[in-house]
Amino acid sequence: MTSLLMSQIDRERAEKSARLRNIGYSYIFLLPYLILLAMFGIIPISYAFGLSFIDTIDYVFYGVKNYDFVFADFRIMRSLTNVLTFVVFWVTLTVLGVVTLSLMLDNIGKRIAGTLRTLYFLPGAVSSSALVVLWIFVLDPAVSPFQGIMHFFGWETLADTVFTIGMPAVFMLMAFFTGAGGWIVVFGGALSGISTEVVEAARVDGANRAQLALRIKLPLIWRSVILMGILSFATGMQIFVEPQLMSMARGPFTMPDWSLNQMAYQYAFQMGDFGASAALSTLLVAFSISIALVVVFKTKFYNIS
Amino acid sequence: MIDVIRRKNLTYGQFIIFATLLFALCFFGIPVVWLISAAFRSEVSLYSAKAFDWPDLVSFAESWVTLTTYNDFQILLWAKNTLIYCAGGVILSLIACIPAGYALALSEFPGRRLILIATLIAMITPSTALVLPIFLELNLLGLTNSYSGMVLASGFFPFGVYLTYIFFSSSLPKGVLDSAVIDGCSRFQVFTRIALPLAKPIISLVAFFSFLAIWANYFLAFVLLSDPTLYNLPVGLTDLVSSSGALSNLAGNDIPIRKPEVILAAMLIIVPVLIVFLAAQRFVKSGMLAGAEKG
Repeated sequence: MTSLLMSQIDRERAEKSARLRNIGYSYIFLLPYLILLAMFGIIPISYAFGLSFIDTIDYVFYGVKNYDFVFADFRIMRSLTNVLTFVVFWVTLTVLGVVTLSLMLDNIGKRIAGTLRTLYFLPGAVSSSALVVLWIFVLDPAVSPFQGIMHFFGWETLADTVFTIGMPAVFMLMAFFTGAGGWIVVFGGALSGISTEVVEAARVDGANRAQLALRIKLPLIWRSVILMGILSFATGMQIFVEPQLMSMARGPFTMPDWSLNQMAYQYAFQMGDFGASAALSTLLVAFSISIALVVVFKTKFYNIS
Repeated sequence: MIDVIRRKNLTYGQFIIFATLLFALCFFGIPVVWLISAAFRSEVSLYSAKAFDWPDLVSFAESWVTLTTYNDFQILLWAKNTLIYCAGGVILSLIACIPAGYALALSEFPGRRLILIATLIAMITPSTALVLPIFLELNLLGLTNSYSGMVLASGFFPFGVYLTYIFFSSSLPKGVLDSAVIDGCSRFQVFTRIALPLAKPIISLVAFFSFLAIWANYFLAFVLLSDPTLYNLPVGLTDLVSSSGALSNLAGNDIPIRKPEVILAAMLIIVPVLIVFLAAQRFVKSGMLAGAEKG
């Protein structure tokens, strides 16, 4: 009886130590990533949050004065309007453009559709400063490959083109040019996953191409369309590179405070006010994390089970 | 009669489809083709009446020599820096992502769900949102203006952890690992001898996406680096353009960097990515689907 009890205790001990060993091993596997997650996720966000309540010139507690300063800056509302206008333009074009092109590609021969998807996707290689350089050329009627159209509208200089169509539309074109192809590839995959039986049944019932696309296929990929819209919205609010680098064309194209992220950069690097920069960065990060939390907890796009 | 109308409708519908797809092809394709062709043209030729002209190898060679030799081979130094940041960042992201995704997929331990949620939040939050907080932190640690700061920051790649987690969750049965443990393998042996050899596709996929994220990263390098000898190519390109005024249509300095040289410098950033894109299309498709569709 005693030996039976002992062996059970031994077994429980062995199981417990195996479980603890397993937990230990799991954390050893996770260690490099957890260090990076702390260093470049948790700590910088916490540090910026803390710094946003400090007067970074005298290093004393400052309450919410950094936030007051940011909200009192007349440029903030202008930057917010700029960014929101761009985001509305870009998300609308992305949702309409990507969905339309994806549904149309699903309607033509597989081989040509595959080739077109690849060609639409290639501009994704043109990013950051190279993207802005390319578009400064593309929008300049003196050298642009679309100069015929520009001359037709009477645009003779880069300023004519850019200020006629407006900065938000210019950045919308850049972002759509480089980003839409990736989503078209994603939707190509999603559409090819739709059961052929469903499509055939609708066709037998007399649905034409447009009805098939809008009433059968679109509802089946609608969730992914919403995800694309949310992610584009979150990314668009953080725009920095495009307006910052328009300054390469100098003169009226230099806009160091066009977007909110540029303002945060300005506070830190032009004014040396890290507290104000931290306050604005904290607000931007909080906005992005709120969107991420909604995506993670209120939708089932990502698997966390 | 109805048949005829239907046939006409079909033709009309097809016309709309092909016209739209062709329009999109022009929008996406013409700028890229123009940029490649413009790399083979002189400044004078760029301003000629035609938007496209025959490639001129002599002009290309002249621009190439001017660009690469300018300021003591500065652009080559920036290319070398970009390669260092990329190689270091990709290796670090693999070291961090693969074991982490493996552990999250195949082990139960306290804190697992929290780490997974934190990873997803970090993945969905645009990286640009974190650049200034990262600068504030690295500035405090004295890690700005250094290779190590750039490589460490580039190695943080939560998307890679999620991709690896999805891969191991869906393609490696837990039973296989449990029986290996029963057969006497340690947890490390199971990882190195069973999981890693099976994980080649996901290692390539994570390396591919990590490379893309680091290669053309402008904002992080722009904020962390102020020493021109440490610039990567995207920041170097803007420095080149800003100092020469090559895109402003204003003459008046002696710097030999003009539009053809700027186009070539941009091509140095774009061409490696184009090659990787074409070579690894399969990865892109499977990876983007995993990132956006699973669950």
